[in-house]
Amino acid sequence: MAREVIGNGNELAAEAAIDAGAMFFSGYPITPSSEVMHVASDLLPEIGGKFIQMEDEIAGIAAALGASMTGVKSFTATSGPGISLKAEQIGLGFIAEVPLVIINVMRGGPSTGLPTRVSQADIGQAQYPTHGDYASITLCAGSLSECYTETVRGFNLAEKYMTPVFVLLDETIGHMHGKAILPDLEEVKASIVNRATFEGPIDEYKPYKVPMNKPAVINKMFQGYRHHVTGLHHGDEGFPTEDAVQCEFNIERLVGKINTVAKENDGLDDLPDYEEYMLEDAEVCLIAYGSIGLGAYEAVQKLRAEGIKAGMFRPIMLWPSPAKRIAEIGAKFKDKIFITELNMGQYTKEIERIIKRDDFTTLFKANGRPIAPAEMVAKVKEMM
Amino acid sequence: MRNTIRFTGVGGQGVLLAGEIMAACKIKEGGEGLKTATYTSQVRGGATVVDITLDDGTIRYPYANEGEIDFMLSVANVSFHQFKNGVKPGGTIVVDPNLVQPTDEDRKKWVIHEIPIITIAKEEVGNVITQSVVALGITNTMTGVLPRQSLIDTMLSKVPAKVHAANIKAYDLGEKYAKEAMAK
Repeated sequence: MAREVIGNGNELAAEAAIDAGAMFFSGYPITPSSEVMHVASDLLPEIGGKFIQMEDEIAGIAAALGASMTGVKSFTATSGPGISLKAEQIGLGFIAEVPLVIINVMRGGPSTGLPTRVSQADIGQAQYPTHGDYASITLCAGSLSECYTETVRGFNLAEKYMTPVFVLLDETIGHMHGKAILPDLEEVKASIVNRATFEGPIDEYKPYKVPMNKPAVINKMFQGYRHHVTGLHHGDEGFPTEDAVQCEFNIERLVGKINTVAKENDGLDDLPDYEEYMLEDAEVCLIAYGSIGLGAYEAVQKLRAEGIKAGMFRPIMLWPSPAKRIAEIGAKFKDKIFITELNMGQYTKEIERIIKRDDFTTLFKANGRPIAPAEMVAKVKEMM
Repeated sequence: MRNTIRFTGVGGQGVLLAGEIMAACKIKEGGEGLKTATYTSQVRGGATVVDITLDDGTIRYPYANEGEIDFMLSVANVSFHQFKNGVKPGGTIVVDPNLVQPTDEDRKKWVIHEIPIITIAKEEVGNVITQSVVALGITNTMTGVLPRQSLIDTMLSKVPAKVHAANIKAYDLGEKYAKEAMAK
């Protein structure tokens, strides 16, 4: 049975992590994400899990990566400045293929920026959080319920694709307090994905010897299967190599196991990568994500009440983007597309790339304040 | 039917909890309630605003729409002046007169009641922390948005048992002062 709960987005994300099977959290408190950590510190010891407040952001992710390397589902939470500090370790997660959920509750930046205020300015950072070539998986919660469901999904994708996964909240969603409908706990448990394991003889265990576009198969530690973990380019057993053919294969596989797979299968799992609201008969399409989508729902309702047929497209999986559907929307709505986001147009660039035009109406804000439905309504009216 | 209520103060005064109690009570009654808070990066003393949206149907956008707020309560001068314009013309504002000084223009635009919330909590209840529950009693008495007993029960479920008596007293005093203010 679906569950009705009251809480804020940060609390719901932490509860989701536990329900998804997380047994380890390490991190360092930072506004506006700290409640994720508070709840993790309450819940993990109760179920025999481990919670550690580390000495800084870097140690916060390093310990979580280490825990995950042993086979334990792990997560950390922070805000933009914390991601900047964690950048090098995130790279280790990509190349060594370590599943990890990183919850980023976005606030204004750059640097320490606007600690208590809302922003969506880490969209580009989530796509390329560290140096080198790789592909990122990034989910963006657009409601209290999605703070829960997208965190569960993040764990499942991390295990399936053996990679760090970003779950983006923003200050508004993280701190707003109200009712959320959560899926049945048994359904959540039944949906859990665990990383693949190699069952053959120990001397044949080669975790990185996998075909193109497939994730590494890395066994839990302390069960006799041994491999080497490094941030250097590595061969089948994880030992460093500079072999040109191997290095090229490594990078093509790291990118392809996510981007190529998503393109070929129209997504990385069976869950929705976007939501559409009253789009079927719409003449103008609002595009918004995260907490800005909440205002866009009301803007669509207000516009419809005034006789303007508006609808909304809200991406949930930002990276890899739902490119096929965005292209269809571009073909249908032409220049009647209105994009609004709490940054200077970071996701607009992706939409322009896919649709191959740059004449959309936009409303960007980067001053730490939300975008009210009335502001969206006024902008759409200018278009009509 | 949508009601939007705004509490403003400075960081540390406990206005956040009062908002959560109202939202939780509305949800318990079968509707929807959302609380959002906007505050500054100062630990204490920064202007804080809490918006509470209550609706029998679905709420998506969690902030009050500026100019549509029905009722505001303010216990800090800086926050009052910064956030008062969200209240619709003719709307009701309660201020603590020891801390907030509305202008003559403000008094023409809105119905402003003066209730010494902090003093009531400190001297009549005997615990300054109960100011948020005094505010809760005032707010619900003036707006009538939530069933009285249901709100008190929700409030009691969120405070430790040893302070139940003090908080019931705080709610009752808020109610009493609100009725007196409205009768003037």
